[in-house]
Amino acid sequence: MSEVQRRKYSQVEKNSIFDGEFMPHIDSMYNFAYRLTFDEDDAKDLVQDTYLKAYRFINSFEQGTNAKAWLFRILKNSFINEYRKKSKQPAKVDYQEVETYYNSDDVDFQGTTDLRAESVKDMLGDEISNALNSLAVDFRTVIILCDLEGFTYEEMAKILDIPIGTVRSRLHRARNLLKEKLKGYAQHMGYDTEEEE
Amino acid sequence: MNEETSGSRKLRCDDTSKCFELLESILDGEMGDPGKEVLKEKLAKCQPCFEHFHLEQAIREVLKNKCTKQEVPKELAQSIREKLHDVK
Ligand SMILES: [Zn+2]
Repeated sequence: MSEVQRRKYSQVEKNSIFDGEFMPHIDSMYNFAYRLTFDEDDAKDLVQDTYLKAYRFINSFEQGTNAKAWLFRILKNSFINEYRKKSKQPAKVDYQEVETYYNSDDVDFQGTTDLRAESVKDMLGDEISNALNSLAVDFRTVIILCDLEGFTYEEMAKILDIPIGTVRSRLHRARNLLKEKLKGYAQHMGYDTEEEE
Repeated sequence: MNEETSGSRKLRCDDTSKCFELLESILDGEMGDPGKEVLKEKLAKCQPCFEHFHLEQAIREVLKNKCTKQEVPKELAQSIREKLHDVK
């Protein structure tokens, strides 16, 4: 929480911001927390901590700005600082090494698979969900923020504290990884991946 | 709809890297109205762009529609309010 305190809200104003602007996002917050932690209790704790922090730092929230993005940023930081260590992550990766790879904005936008749009549309929710959940947390995060929650690149840049160019390239890589997973499912399920009609 | 036929489109993209980056930005809603014009032209003229666009669009749609929201525990909102009451 490095924002400068802009003003002080009265108790009544605080309550009204909290109830009117923060609480309506609880569903999205929980969904994000669950997809980060894969654990119901951890997700609940993470959302609860986020809301308590949001209240404590409410004076650094500027009314009229995007409350959802502000809350997501707090949640993401709490996750990194407190939960990442203990959460049940499927893949342990060397973070430093991966970081230099996908923080480079220099990405070649190529189609990497012969996966077909029709096969993707035929897939079940579970297959899509499992494919998403199998991605490393930083890739999963950009897809959740962009495709599930509809944040703009600029909002994502603020939530994640990374430049917009990095948002764009990380998203592209994330979707390519996702497509590779989906292609695997498609082949396994016998969906058509190559033939043109 | 001649958008659905491939006959009039070139089969090789002049610059897939540039085109695909642009298409993905358009799909992510980053280009506004000017994006729609560019898109129309790309889809009409270039087969690789056409295919890439439809795949990327399908991916976004299934993510949005099929990654069902996790059901939020009923007691969560209440428990937040109680904790908050303690710190006020
Ligand atoms: Zn093209």
